[in-house]
Amino acid sequence: MPNRRPALNPLTTLAAAVAAAVMTTAASSWAVSLAVASAAAVLAVRAGVGARLAPAAAVILAPFWLSLLIMHGLFFPEGRTVLAQWGAARVTTEGLGFALDMGTRTAAYVMVFLLFSFTVRLPDLVAVMSARRVPPQFGYVLASTLTLAPAVTVRLARIRQAQESRGLVLRGGPLRRLAAARQQMVPLVLALIQDAGDRAQALDSRGFNASRERTSYREVPDTAAQRTFRAVALAAAAAAVGLRISGHWPEGLWMVGLWPDAPSPVALLAVALLARGVPA
Amino acid sequence: MKAAALLQAGITEFSYHGEEAPVLRDIEIAAAPGTLTAVLGGSGSGKSTLGKLLAGWMSGGHSGLFRGTLHLDVQGAAPGGDSSPLVFRGSPDDPRINPALWSRHVGYVPQDAAALLSTVGSTVAEELAFGLENRGVNRQLMQSEVERAAEAAGLTALLDRDPATLSGGELRRLAMACSAITRPCVLVLDEPLGSLDHAGAQSVRALVRSLLESGTAVIVLTQTVDELGLAADHWLVLDGGTVTARGAPGGLAASAELLQSGVVLPAVPGYGFGWQCRAVAPRGADSRPATPRPDNPRPATPRPADPRPAADTPAVLELERVSFAFPAGRGGQGRGILKELSLAVRSGEVVAVTGPNGAGKSTLLRHFNGLLRPGLGTVRVLGADIRGVPTGRVADKVGLLFQHPRDQLFERTVLREVLFGLDRKYGPEAAGKARAALTAVGLGEQLETHPHELPASAQRLLALATVLAREPDVIALDEPTVGLDRHGLERLDDAVRAATERDAAVVMVTHELAYARQAADRILELRDGSLREL
Repeated sequence: MPNRRPALNPLTTLAAAVAAAVMTTAASSWAVSLAVASAAAVLAVRAGVGARLAPAAAVILAPFWLSLLIMHGLFFPEGRTVLAQWGAARVTTEGLGFALDMGTRTAAYVMVFLLFSFTVRLPDLVAVMSARRVPPQFGYVLASTLTLAPAVTVRLARIRQAQESRGLVLRGGPLRRLAAARQQMVPLVLALIQDAGDRAQALDSRGFNASRERTSYREVPDTAAQRTFRAVALAAAAAAVGLRISGHWPEGLWMVGLWPDAPSPVALLAVALLARGVPA
Repeated sequence: MKAAALLQAGITEFSYHGEEAPVLRDIEIAAAPGTLTAVLGGSGSGKSTLGKLLAGWMSGGHSGLFRGTLHLDVQGAAPGGDSSPLVFRGSPDDPRINPALWSRHVGYVPQDAAALLSTVGSTVAEELAFGLENRGVNRQLMQSEVERAAEAAGLTALLDRDPATLSGGELRRLAMACSAITRPCVLVLDEPLGSLDHAGAQSVRALVRSLLESGTAVIVLTQTVDELGLAADHWLVLDGGTVTARGAPGGLAASAELLQSGVVLPAVPGYGFGWQCRAVAPRGADSRPATPRPDNPRPATPRPADPRPAADTPAVLELERVSFAFPAGRGGQGRGILKELSLAVRSGEVVAVTGPNGAGKSTLLRHFNGLLRPGLGTVRVLGADIRGVPTGRVADKVGLLFQHPRDQLFERTVLREVLFGLDRKYGPEAAGKARAALTAVGLGEQLETHPHELPASAQRLLALATVLAREPDVIALDEPTVGLDRHGLERLDDAVRAATERDAAVVMVTHELAYARQAADRILELRDGSLREL
């Protein structure tokens, strides 16, 4: 794998991701959410992580969307415009609208944070965190969490291959597959715990729990412009939340005035910056 | 004049929590600057426990009960800051070793070298620097130290590589360099040459030589008298958790204690043993040879003139013009590639496949049961094309021993491990088959043990039992000798012989050519994607 060197400090991309997510929530508009989610998807493809990000996003979003559709699409108490009705279940325009709003908003969060986690350089993230006096253990846990999905995938594939080599047939309907997956879960969890135990001893011996201040081998790029951007992005996110809570949200004309619920230019800028952090 | 020892350990007793019998007892070991000490012992002799104890991984009472002393003759090494011996009485008041401080003086590379890596370093350079970062070394000094350590370990050209893409030898050198970068005065290496091919072993030996020249005391824990063992100044034979013999290699080479210990001995003059006697009896021999005893080593027996099955015996496994390549970015480009490879193995035949690391030997074996599918070409088992047949079904005919037991074992007990999937094939007879397979590999008394708690040699034998219990027509063994002590090798030989006697075909991948010559009817070399007869 070539040595990737993103131009941006991971804190800048993290701030961009947080700002995009917060402002999408504050905007509370399906059009904004959809624009942010789509932008993240395009960037993921550009970064070459689309193939890994898509299944991860699907695993998180599919059950969530399904539950939204059942909860709000069929049983939305405030719904007035009834489109169809089966007993107690009513499909209403308002219910569908709410489900759409929530569904796209969640999609935006998930896409933005998955994009961040799939593209951030973990050593950079750990390095900037330790430089900011965050305990290295916290940085390591964060880094391990971000790499957990790939680690679990690799381990699961190994267990499945071992089981297939001893006669487990992975074919048939969803029930059979579910039963097969159940057989892999206990070994998976036990193996991960075992790995963690082994790793802890090795980390200890390499001085990871030493009490002295940690230094960093990598010089993580940072500039005054990036620091300014981080401050502006986080301030804008805070302002957006403030406006939403205070009830002064400028509906329809907010900062752009082209059409109602236009995607916030700040949110899009944040996503664009996230993209610059994405190694080409 | 003999230099004073840097590290001295007097182990009266060490036992793991929950176990009554001590794993180690009555051991004295000392490491002087610039000396190489080899601790030789078979599987389960306590080598790895000894290594961890010396490395400070086992003190403090959380792993087990330790009575004895550790004396590191370096200022500031002990918790109190002086260099007096640490005395452990197995009580809660025992001194606690800070692993971070201790490892500055005593480095340790475990048997599974990858376990030492932090996994957050995305390049070899960052992985090397990890231990220095934790110790607050400034960046400029860190960079020069990383360059120095990389040069000593022959890793300079690999500094920007992702550690996940390194070969076995490279990974081992990286782990050793990670331990050595803080310049410990003692370095403990657990099976440093295990599973390495010739080039990998040579590079590790060169690194050990340079460490010795720089004055480091090196302790090697091994169950094979390999080149490192032969180069040692001092041997300790560990058997049943205690030292049964010690002294200069020349004096111990033919000792009864060494022969008894299960250590694999080299096939060089003066040792009497070697691949010939630990390995298979000649194929087609009428009776099973007796297990060698120290007083009666099994004599090397000549191979029969033509042990091959008759040419008209039908092939149980056929690969016809098989081509395969991993998608770009996985496994490294150019690795694990097969090009129009053909192979036919008849029932009762033993075929050995050899070749350098990364040639695609494991990739080849994974085609036998369909874990990997060829891009082009056909794989036939008992005459039937396995295209479209799920691996779980092919597994009824083909058993595969994985290269690493940890990839094969996933259950909670030894018995459950072998029983997995067996009931589908044998129904009520499954339990009997499982027990018989475990007895055959010598694990019949450890049915309820957790596989992870077994020594490496026993783990491989357990993985072998999971294959044998299914009585497949084709047995594919990936580096079956790695990690086995002499007793384990005898079990393996017995298993191969029993399999061929019931007309199963055996294909084994091994980098040990001497073993292949003894065990196989023919040897094939995999190079540049195709096979050629040696």
